[in-house]
Formats: sequence, structure tokens, C-alpha cells
Amino acid sequence: MTKHAHAPADLKADQMFINFGPQHPSTHGVLRIALTVEGEVVMKGDPDVGFLHRGMEKLFEARTYSQGLILTDRLDYISATHNNLGYCLAVEKLAGIQAPLRAQYIRVLAAELNRIASHLVFFGTFGVDMGAFTPFLYAFREREMIMDLFEMLCGGRLLHSYVRVGGVAADLPAGWTEKCREFLTFFKPMLKDYDTLLSGNPIFRSRTEGVGIIGADRAVSWGLSGPTLRGSGVSYDVRKAEPYCVYDKLNFTVPVGKNGDCLDRYYCRMKEMEQSVEIAFQCLDALAGAELNPGEFMAKGVPKMFKAPAGQAYAHVEASRGDLGFFAVSDGGFNPYRMHVRGPSFINVAILQEILVGCKIADVVAILGSLDIVLGEVDR
Amino acid sequence: MTEETIQPKVLEPVFNHANGRLLMPETRYWPTDMWKSPWSLPTYRRGAAVLAGLILGIAGVAWFIGEIGPRLAPIYSLAEQFALSYGVPAFWIAVVWTFIKGVFVLLAPALNALFAVWWERKISAHIQSRMGPMYVGWWHGALQTLADGIKLFLKEDIVPECADKVVHWLAPVVVLIPAILVFAPVPFGKDLIYANIDIGTVYVFAVGGVSVMGIIMAGWSSGNKFSLLGGLRSAAQLVSYELPRTFAVLPVIMLAGTLNIAEIAGFQAGYWGGIVPRWFIFYPVVGQVAFIVFLIASVAETNRVPFDIPEAESELVAGFNTEYSGMKFALFFLSEFAYVLLSCLLMASFFFGGGAAPLPFLDFLPSWAWFLSKTLILMFCFLWFRWTFPRFRVDRLMDFNWKFLLPVSLINIAAGGILIWLLS
Amino acid sequence: MKNYIAFVFDASWNTLKGLWVTLKVLFLPSITVQYPTEKIVPYARFRGMLAYDAEACIACGMCVRACPSKCIALAKAAPAPVSAPVEGQPAAPAAKPKIEWYTIDYGRCNFCGLCEESCPTKPKKALWHSLDYEAIFSTRAEMVRRWKRGDDLWGTARKTADGQLAPITDQIHIQSVPVRK
Repeated sequence: MTKHAHAPADLKADQMFINFGPQHPSTHGVLRIALTVEGEVVMKGDPDVGFLHRGMEKLFEARTYSQGLILTDRLDYISATHNNLGYCLAVEKLAGIQAPLRAQYIRVLAAELNRIASHLVFFGTFGVDMGAFTPFLYAFREREMIMDLFEMLCGGRLLHSYVRVGGVAADLPAGWTEKCREFLTFFKPMLKDYDTLLSGNPIFRSRTEGVGIIGADRAVSWGLSGPTLRGSGVSYDVRKAEPYCVYDKLNFTVPVGKNGDCLDRYYCRMKEMEQSVEIAFQCLDALAGAELNPGEFMAKGVPKMFKAPAGQAYAHVEASRGDLGFFAVSDGGFNPYRMHVRGPSFINVAILQEILVGCKIADVVAILGSLDIVLGEVDR
Repeated sequence: MTEETIQPKVLEPVFNHANGRLLMPETRYWPTDMWKSPWSLPTYRRGAAVLAGLILGIAGVAWFIGEIGPRLAPIYSLAEQFALSYGVPAFWIAVVWTFIKGVFVLLAPALNALFAVWWERKISAHIQSRMGPMYVGWWHGALQTLADGIKLFLKEDIVPECADKVVHWLAPVVVLIPAILVFAPVPFGKDLIYANIDIGTVYVFAVGGVSVMGIIMAGWSSGNKFSLLGGLRSAAQLVSYELPRTFAVLPVIMLAGTLNIAEIAGFQAGYWGGIVPRWFIFYPVVGQVAFIVFLIASVAETNRVPFDIPEAESELVAGFNTEYSGMKFALFFLSEFAYVLLSCLLMASFFFGGGAAPLPFLDFLPSWAWFLSKTLILMFCFLWFRWTFPRFRVDRLMDFNWKFLLPVSLINIAAGGILIWLLS
Repeated sequence: MKNYIAFVFDASWNTLKGLWVTLKVLFLPSITVQYPTEKIVPYARFRGMLAYDAEACIACGMCVRACPSKCIALAKAAPAPVSAPVEGQPAAPAAKPKIEWYTIDYGRCNFCGLCEESCPTKPKKALWHSLDYEAIFSTRAEMVRRWKRGDDLWGTARKTADGQLAPITDQIHIQSVPVRK
């Protein structure tokens, strides 16, 4: 208690400086928050990122377009398919490749399954942040089934590399559709159990209601996106605003919160899982239909190494954590000249410094959990 | 080289365990298959049969042994006669006898921890669709706690550089000693009691309250800010929750007219209409409210979820015991489980009739068996709460205590008075 | 006051419902795999440890180019000398350029599957992801596997004890399901 590493000079006598992380059970990785507390109340909180920096954007420049895809898995490793998809859309735009319709349906299906898996991780870790350990295991039990589905689909359980430039890596294997339907029908009623276990629990509500309120104006001005933004009552979803793949042909709603507190952000994600199940069912129905050519999962004539014409392209997708954008610049070579990633977690985490002030230490965990950041994407 | 030799050879599996097997892709454990008809699974049927057999077997053993207290009395008097015949002064016989009994009281928290940790791990595992410890010991990891205990004994004891060494060393002791002393006036069955003192209830609450000192010491001396916060939180929490916990017992004491725990338990013998036991939990409204308040306050007193804010894993890393390792950490653990056992024993005595059978025809089982089973069921509630609820926030915790539990328990005391007036 | 009582009842009811959920699961069968005694055999597309077949390999180097982390290296064997054409007989076909040595550094492998996709040999791939997921290394030197003609599926690696290349014997566990793509 005598030495304060990096303690601010203006620390008052009754204040305490706490390094919340990078080694802390609930920072979801290696985030450091420099907290100045007065008893239990936070006076100042500065998020400090960069402990997981791997120089991803530079690494893209030394890889060909198909090799770069492998790196995107490692950005937001909880929802790898969204990263793959965003990257591939950007590269396809750059190189002028059009993925076949069947591949687009498969992409949406995989992305929605991955969204469920990612939100399940959020649900579980948010429960753990709140001190309830059981929802974590329940969420991972269901997520394990999605992982099995992905393993069957593409061979990877966490880092899929399934969506490829020009389509997807492989067609749906035999028996996969049935397994997927089996999972979805099992999963839908489980959401009610989750609501009973966590969302309806009075202790949980008392910890999340009115905590970490982000008004709609503030959310927009900080550039938040995804459920973090929608929890504040702003109905912005890339799937609706700028439909990519086949989202314009699918019927779904975007759940929107009201108050912008932790509970709304949490509940938006829970509701999104329901919508994802619906989308997945629609995709499965469409894939079973005859109009989609069964073997056609890849655009014709996309080589492993290709030169993209000089120019630039930006594509963004609604990843589990928000608006994930890839900006690719080509100088006409095999490798991108520059690749920029707009990681939603990185932008969402910035607002911490504003909403942490005045809350309790226990709320820091709740607010951080409700933002649902993945440090692989924050630090890149 | 030909094509055949390239194929991977089927070697003997390295995991050549008695029931080791490879799970082929078709036999992945999916709850969609397994939960549809659990009784069709052979393992599930076998587990249920083993559990039923265990319960019946233990009941049979208990029936065979019978009451321990009356059986020990002749042995004691025999030994006393024997010693007296050799001219040993009666005072020294009493001292030795007290020591022997003391060893048993000392054993209670230790044995309890051995069992309760394993039980908690199994219950938590099955609540979360896991299996829990499965390897150490002959059946479902039954000796896992023993192995963990040995591990904790052998671990390095790390004292942080900036810790206050003496206080850091003293804190687990201050926590543990009251946790053992507190078992003195608590009955484990008929005549199974270390010190049958008349102020038993007051003694338990008074001595149990000392442990909070140790927790504050641990938090302060660790030289860790998270520990400090944990210690301060626990001071506030434990002092606050002492009040409703004590007030919840007051109606029971008023009804029973005594502070002696064994007598309170004995007061509840008998049945209304020959079927409903005269336990305090069945006294209309007053009994139930008192029980619920006492249960909640007990959970808070033992620092368990949803009231585990002093430890608060996700906020304060591990709270007051962040900087403890090895056996010192184990002592905190031991005392936590000792307090859980104590709370369950107290609840069994205060509200569930102690060693009385729930139905008249079941009284062939000895009182200690009923006492133990009630304690275990109540302990299950502790575990059940722990693995269901999230954690309170520190200010809500205080709100809950001062704005809900305390008023309710105060009203309940008045209601208890009215009930006594009605009954008389 | 009315709100207060309503809240208390609502909270208690929701609490009890939550308790019911956990109690329900307590009596349902567990779904965990008891790992060392039960081992999952992955699906056919699983990307496990890379396996290599020196006999099928044509040393084209596609995998080296495809790998994003540059974990593969190989050397072509010098082509066998073509015997001088004999009068009256068709010319002997030129010997395929074959492999001298081939190494994979598992420490850098991404398990992405690009090398396997790019492998052109037919009908069976010379490089493929096996189903083995139980790779254990104790040193970095061990992570580099080397194949030569005649080596078996897992090649040789440098062991710590003597620094010599030794065949891999103790690291391949999930192997009763040979999936050769």
C-alpha cells in the first residue's frame, strides 16, 4: 500500500489508485483500467489498451488476400465468421468478385450461428461478472453444440476461416442441416430458462438497472455500434441499414432498448439470439429449396493468389459486437497495400472513461461486461 | 512405401483406462439426445440406484447403531468407576473427559470440511451439467478433498513483501479459533453436546462474531488494495447481518422460553394431531418468516453467494484472501465451511425440531441421523443458492439488510408475541 | 407501500423460479466428456495436426506459398539423370521431381487448412490435416517435424535428450480413425 505504480500525482489523501487489470478475472482479456476510487466509489477510470497488440493491420500487408483471411479469425476470436465475412466482402468489392447465392445463404447462416455463440459467451461471462457462475456453464453447454456444428462444417471450432473470398470453403456436409435444426429447436426454449435464471433475477436486475446509462445522443457521438448502441435506443443495424449478403431477403427485427443501461444492453443481446435463431431457420429453409444450386458454394475461377485492381474498397458487417468494417487499399499487387479494421470493441471501450465516473467498483465490472469487448479486436 | 503403411496405425489407446473409449462423431454428448429420456441412459439408472442404495444403507447403519449418547453414557461411567478405583481424583477425570470431548468438537469442522467441499463440488457440478471430481478416491472423486488438503499442506506459504507479517500470520488463526469454539453448545443429536450451557444461543452469536476481526485483519495486513476493500466490505456486512440473524431467533426463544439450544430443540418434540411435527417452522407465519430471515442472514454471515461481496471473485479478485496461499488459505476455507455447518445445525435445532423425526412412524432412526440429514438438506440449500444467484452490490446489500430484513425481523418479534398470547 | 409489497412478492417469485431452473438441471444427466477416459473423435473436416506423405508429394511448393505463417519448408531432390534415349524404343518418361526433405514448424502453424487446399496431388493429398488434436511439445525444437523418403506419417523431430532426430512415437493419440483426404 505504500507504493503506487503509475499513481496520478493529484491523488487526494482519501483516494486510492487501483490497477484494475490487466491481470484481473473480469477484464475479459488484458484490458487495464486505471481506477481512482474513494472508498467504493470510482472517481476516475481510464481504459488502457494495447496489451494484446500484434500489429494485425501491418501483417495484412505482407499476406496475399487469401492468406490475410486467416488473420481476421484472430481479431475477434469469439465471432470469427463475422470477421471472415467482413474481410471477404471488402476484398470481393475490391477484386470485383461476386459470390454465388447459395454461398451467401451459407454465409448468413454461419454468421448467425456464430452470433448466437458469441452472445452466449457474453451471457455467460456477464453472469460470472455478476457473480452467478451457473449461467456461464449453461451458455457454454449450448455453445459447445454450435462449436460441434462448426467443426462439422469447416473443421475449426473457434477460428473458422470458413467464409472465403468468392464464397465459402466447402458446402454443407451431409447430415449437417438436420443437426443444425435439432440444435435450433433445442436452443429456442433454453432462452426462456436463461431469462428465468438471470434476466428475471431481482439481484441481477438491481445490479444492472440504471447502471452505466448511455443516452442515445452520447452513444451516437462516441460512435458506438452493435447492441451497445441499440441498448441506448438507437435502431442502427448494418443488416438493416446496408444489407449485405442476403439479409434483405430475410425477415427479422432488430431489438432496441430504451434506457441505455446495462440491463438494456444485456437484454438486446438476449433478444438478438432469438432473432438469430429465426434467421437461421429461414436460411435453412432457403438452402433446402431447389432454386439454390446445390454444389455452388464458390464463385467460378477465383484463384488462390490473385491481383486486385488498384483502388480501394470498404465493406462493413454487423458483427456480434457491432459495426465491423474492413477498408482495403490495393496498388494492383498480390497483397493489399493497406488494410484498416474498424473494430467495434475498440470504439465501444472508449466510452468507459466517461461512464465509469461515479459508479461503484462492482459497477465497473457490470459496465465493462455489458459493453462485451474482446481484447483481440481492441488491440489488434 | 505402399499405401497401407501410410495409413495411421491403430495403436493401443494411451488412455487404457478400465472404461476408456473413443466417442465417435455420432455419439457426441448433446443434451438434445440425452435429456429427452434420461432414464434410458444406463449410467443414469445406475447412478440413481447407487444413490438410493447409499441412502438406504446409511439409514440401515444408523438404525443399527441407534442413539449414540445413551450408549456412550455407560462406557463413560464404567471408565469413571475404573479410574476412581485407582484413586484418580474426580476433578482430573472431568478434565480428561472434557479434553476427549474437545477433540471430537475439533474434529467436527475438519471432517465437515472434508465432506462439504466434496459435496459442494458435486452439487455445483451437477447443477451445471458437469460431473465434478471423478478420479481421486474410489467413487466419484470421494477423496478429492483429502488430496486437495495434502496439496494445500505442501504448498509454499507466500507472504507478500509489503504485508504486515504478524497480522498476516495471525488473521487465519483469529478466523478459525472462534469457528471451532462456537461448536461447544451446539447439539449434534440427543445428549451429543459438548457443553450444555443455558446461554448457548447468546454464546454462539457472540463467539461467531469474533471471526469478522480476523477477516478485517486479513484484508488490512495483506498490503493489497483489493484485499483491503474486501476486508472493509466484510466488516460492514457481517456487523449488519448479525442484527436480523439474532432478531430472527428471538421469536423462537420467546416461544421456547430458553436460550439453551438443546432445550429449544427438545421443546419441538411431538406432533399436532399426531401428524404435523411441532417444529417452529410450522408455527403459522412467524415460524416461516423467522426461518427465511435467519436463512438469508446466515448465508450472508458465512460470506457465500449471493452475499459474497468480501470475496467477490469478479470484482476483488479473491477479496480478503487474495494474498493467502497454502494452509493459511485452507484455514479460511475451513472456517467458512465450519460456519456453514454451524448455521445448518442451528437452523435444524431452532426450526426443524433438532433430532425429531418428521413423521411419527419414522422415529426408529436415532436422533443424530435426523439431525445430520436435516443439516445436510439445509446445507444443500446453501449450495443451491450459491450456484443460482448473482452477487449483490455492496450498497444494495446494505439496503436489503436495513430496509427489508431488519424491519421484517422486528415485526416478526411482535408477531411472535401475539402468537404466544394467542397460544396461551 | 403497495408497490413495495408487490415488489417483494415479485422478487421472491422470480427467485424461486430461478432456483427451479437449477434444480431441474441437477437431476438431468451431465453432458461433459470425461476427457482422458473418453475421447472425442472429430468430424472428418477437422483441422488437426498436419500429416505428410513423402511418397505422394511432388515437391511443387504450393503449400509453402499458401501458408500464411511460413511454417512449411522443403527441398526438391535433384532429378534423377535421364538415361540416354535408346534407338528404336520410346523415350523414358522424365522422372518426377521428388522431395529431398520437408519440414513443418508446428509452433507457427495456424491450422487454417490453406496448405491442404492448395495441395495438387491426386487422388490423395500429400499434406492434410489429420484428426489428431493431442500434440504435446516440451521444447521448441520438438515442434519442427522433418520428413524424408521412407519416414512414416509423423516424421522425425529433434528430441531434447541427445539433440538427435528421432521418430515421433508418443504424441499421436486419436489415430484409430485414419482420415486421409
